[in-house]
Amino acid sequence: MRYEEWSGIARKASKRSLWMVHFCTGCGAIEMPPVMTSRYDMERFGIASMATPRQADVLLITGYLTVKTLKRVVQVYEQMQSPKYVIALGSCTMNGGMYWDSYNTIKRLDKYIPVDIYVAGCMPRPEGIMNAFLKLMKLIDEGKARGWERYKKYYERYKKNQEMAFNFVKKEEKEEEKNEGD
Amino acid sequence: MLDIILAEILVAAIITFFVGRKLAAIIAMAVSILPLIALLDWASLYGFNIIHLGIEKSISIPIAGVSLNLAITPLGWFFALMIIPLFPAIMLFSYSFYKKNDGFYPFMLLALLSSIGIIMAKDMLTFFLFWEMMSWSSFLLVYRSRDKEAVMSYFIFSSLSAFLIFLGILIIYQQNASLLLSSINIESNAYGVVAIISLIAGFAIKSVLMPLHAWAPYVYSKSDEPFVAFLAGGLSKLGYYGMFLILFILAGAKVLETYFTNLSPNYILAVFGALSAFIATLIAFMQDDMRKLLAYSSIGQLGYIAIGFGIGTPLAVSGALFQAFNHAFFKAVLFLAAGAVAYRTGKWKISELGGVGYRMPFTFMATLFAIFTLAAIPITSGFAAKWLLYESAIDAKYIFVAPIMLIAGVGAFLYSFRILYGVFLGENRYPNIKEAPKSMVAAMFILVMPLLIFLIFPGYMLDMMHDALISGNIATLNHNAFVIETSLASYNTIAVIVALMIALIPAILIYKTRKHRVVDFMDNYLAGELPELYDNKISMHAASRFYKPIEEIIGPYFEPGTMSYYMAIYRGLKAISDAVRKIYTGKAGDYAIYVTLFLLIIMGWFIWM
Amino acid sequence: MDVSAIMIKSAVVIAYAFIGTFIGLLFLGVGRKIVARVHNRVGPPFYQGFIDVAKLLSKKTNISHGWIFDLALLFSISGILLAFAFLPVGGIKLLSTDGDAFLVLYLLAIPALGFALGAGASGNPNAGIGVMRALVMMLSYELPFVITMIALMIYYDTTSIARIVELQSVNGISSWAIFIPPFMLAAAVADMALQGMLMEQPFDIPVAPHEIASGPMVEFGGKYLGTLMLYKAISIVVETTLFVDFFLGGGVIMHGGIVANIANFIVWFVLIFIVFTLSLLINTAFPRFRIEQAFTFYWKYEAILATVALIWVYWMVI
Repeated sequence: MRYEEWSGIARKASKRSLWMVHFCTGCGAIEMPPVMTSRYDMERFGIASMATPRQADVLLITGYLTVKTLKRVVQVYEQMQSPKYVIALGSCTMNGGMYWDSYNTIKRLDKYIPVDIYVAGCMPRPEGIMNAFLKLMKLIDEGKARGWERYKKYYERYKKNQEMAFNFVKKEEKEEEKNEGD
Repeated sequence: MLDIILAEILVAAIITFFVGRKLAAIIAMAVSILPLIALLDWASLYGFNIIHLGIEKSISIPIAGVSLNLAITPLGWFFALMIIPLFPAIMLFSYSFYKKNDGFYPFMLLALLSSIGIIMAKDMLTFFLFWEMMSWSSFLLVYRSRDKEAVMSYFIFSSLSAFLIFLGILIIYQQNASLLLSSINIESNAYGVVAIISLIAGFAIKSVLMPLHAWAPYVYSKSDEPFVAFLAGGLSKLGYYGMFLILFILAGAKVLETYFTNLSPNYILAVFGALSAFIATLIAFMQDDMRKLLAYSSIGQLGYIAIGFGIGTPLAVSGALFQAFNHAFFKAVLFLAAGAVAYRTGKWKISELGGVGYRMPFTFMATLFAIFTLAAIPITSGFAAKWLLYESAIDAKYIFVAPIMLIAGVGAFLYSFRILYGVFLGENRYPNIKEAPKSMVAAMFILVMPLLIFLIFPGYMLDMMHDALISGNIATLNHNAFVIETSLASYNTIAVIVALMIALIPAILIYKTRKHRVVDFMDNYLAGELPELYDNKISMHAASRFYKPIEEIIGPYFEPGTMSYYMAIYRGLKAISDAVRKIYTGKAGDYAIYVTLFLLIIMGWFIWM
Repeated sequence: MDVSAIMIKSAVVIAYAFIGTFIGLLFLGVGRKIVARVHNRVGPPFYQGFIDVAKLLSKKTNISHGWIFDLALLFSISGILLAFAFLPVGGIKLLSTDGDAFLVLYLLAIPALGFALGAGASGNPNAGIGVMRALVMMLSYELPFVITMIALMIYYDTTSIARIVELQSVNGISSWAIFIPPFMLAAAVADMALQGMLMEQPFDIPVAPHEIASGPMVEFGGKYLGTLMLYKAISIVVETTLFVDFFLGGGVIMHGGIVANIANFIVWFVLIFIVFTLSLLINTAFPRFRIEQAFTFYWKYEAILATVALIWVYWMVI
């Protein structure tokens, strides 16, 4: 299951046929239509959007994630078939962005699922997204897009981080309940 | 030998009435295997390409001044081949199905006895006596359901059937002064035509042809499955046995043709069959009760046999007999499987079932194969039968029947999938049930066997029906074991099978070289939703009103239902009877007037004479 | 017939089936390109179909929902290859003399059934709904299609596709069925039925990706989706070939000799490409029908037109 065993043809094919499932809870979703339609047309590179994670290779996170949505993102990510990649859009996924002090958004997506490419900006322009895909293709070709391997290797650690995030909310909820009780 | 077998069945029927359930089942099974063994003995007489038309093993049993004449005819042998094997399997199935012996076995054995009597009858009287015995034994079996609608509708339609058949037999006796089948010659006059039509209508009731089918959905859906397996698989075939007898052996089809010079009465039978196939199919996939769905599917599939008899060419009749043979087995398997599912889950409604197939894989496999045959997936024997019928419709240029028949074939996929998905696949709703008891599974697989044989060798089936066809003055088709040739095209099973084997290679290569892992049922795409948040109790079964969009379009057309027309007839008769009843006023003066009027009329008539 | 001869023949036919797969995958890519050009986009390269399948088959992990789920993989590709084997392709008869149009019609049901079983076994409600729609769609488009097919069979007095193609190529192009008046009507009807068969818009509701998450395919990924894509690719070839064989003489323009074979093959290829492109252009121009609208369309308008064609033909023959 190592990356090096993967034949060249398969790698080339994988590179030119990135099917994505986009998790559009953030504001970045609005940047996707121009990328898909005739202005930028990402189908040129064989990129297509898919309906379910079972069919997809790339998970596109288009902005901030609350803890509640993170649970779903993890579920979707785990339902995808390896090799799988994650592209995160916007500064929210890097350091919380404008939600840096919010109690229920996650600050660094990389702590919970392995991100292959970050696209900076608030929001990134369509060119940025296109560029990210091209970069991902390059990384796949060079054998550097190994987020899914990282997830497998450090599975315990990722799980621990996820649990911490989920439990944090649970704790808060419990405290809230307690407060209400008082 | 035949009389010994009949006597043994009769004795066994009496014994099983008194013994415990397990012993009764074993006795019934043992006794019902006997005629099966005899069938193999008779196989040396008929079938497998040997023409022995002159030979008939015949006996006559004198009872109360009347002698029952029985003979093994080629046609009888062929129908025995599809009806008698059902019994041992059904008995085996009921071994663990019934919790107590409450009259199933004795009446079932009587049904077996009368089935043998009907298909071996040498004269019309014997035929009718056994037919009545069959009606009564099956009525008592229906009565066990204690369902008023089912019992009443079966009683009324059975009586009607018996009445029509008796009428036909009387007319034939009046014309020929003989009831021996070999010496009957139906004359081509109004009486002969009435006799033929009433006989066909009488048989059509038992073989659930469309306007006369109204009893079937009630009876099939309310009685016990082992019995319904016989009712759908065996009893309906007895109706078609009678139809074959009248139409071809007694040359009724020719009589009708010569009488109605401009009309084609056979065409009407084919049209009834086609409408039966089409309408019943459309109704079938709107049902929620598994047994009702199977009942309508039965009506639809049996319609094809009527089409074949209606078209009446060698191609069509061979197809019809082939279809009859297949239907006997696959429908019995499906009803038994429904019984097995109900035995484990206690549910009938498809919307309440789901995921049974994961826990009952063998039941599912038997059902799957039966459904493949039902839906006429190529290389199953079901396809060969339907293929012959389609060919015959094109050959005879029946432009009304052919498309309807074909679209009914497509409709069969819809209700097949309703059973497969709604009952056996989909949400795993019964994670704790076990596979059906071994005897049930064994019974289902025994019934699947004959279908498997004729899957590869459809030609053998044509060999087997060869003598029966010749006895009905119908030519046989050009065929060998694998290839059936008609004037329009040919069908080569070996080519299909070999091509399938080769086409499976890439599929298996892909399947084997790429690894996969089996995931839990709940690890499913639910738009990112997490089942564990809801204690894994998210409803995931899309089985309630499955075909809703199409139901809303075609449903209203079938809204009144056939039974409502019969009810209208009933109400009309009741109104007339009420009006007639009013003349009995109970006053002496009125009766005096009636008598006077009656005398006056008679006197007037005499004077006029 | 000799069993070994049939085996050799079948092997040759399966070789043709791989040509069919190749053409199908090519069509998938070219089809996307054509749609993209209509949208004023550049579109993927014409070999995109090959890349997609290669990628799907080279996925490292695949998930299955048990042995019934696997039937989808096994049935879909073998069934469609089998159907292809029983069609005459550009005048080459393959196995089509051993079966007929009814056989092909029912062989096309094998992959659909396997697909439906797999989708059902995945236990996803979207899959159930998708299969329901696919089956209703099948019931809808089969009625007009079957009626036009029967019209052809009655006219040529045969049910064998090979024979129909033969009879249409007696006088070259001029004896193609489409040039006989009732069959012009029938071909128009059958082309709309083909639209449903290919599941192109406006009849693509069974796999509507944004409503029911691509319907039956919702749980398919990796090798399962890869085989389904192969199935889709070959089914394009099979279904367009069915149309070409019925109405356009199977593309046969010449008789005898290797040159004629090649010419016929090329004509066949061009014709199925034209038929496919036509369906793609209809696809790009229309939004999606709801399932009951599709049903009404086929059983009301299409079926009436088809019946007119059938009665016309019947009247011509009698």
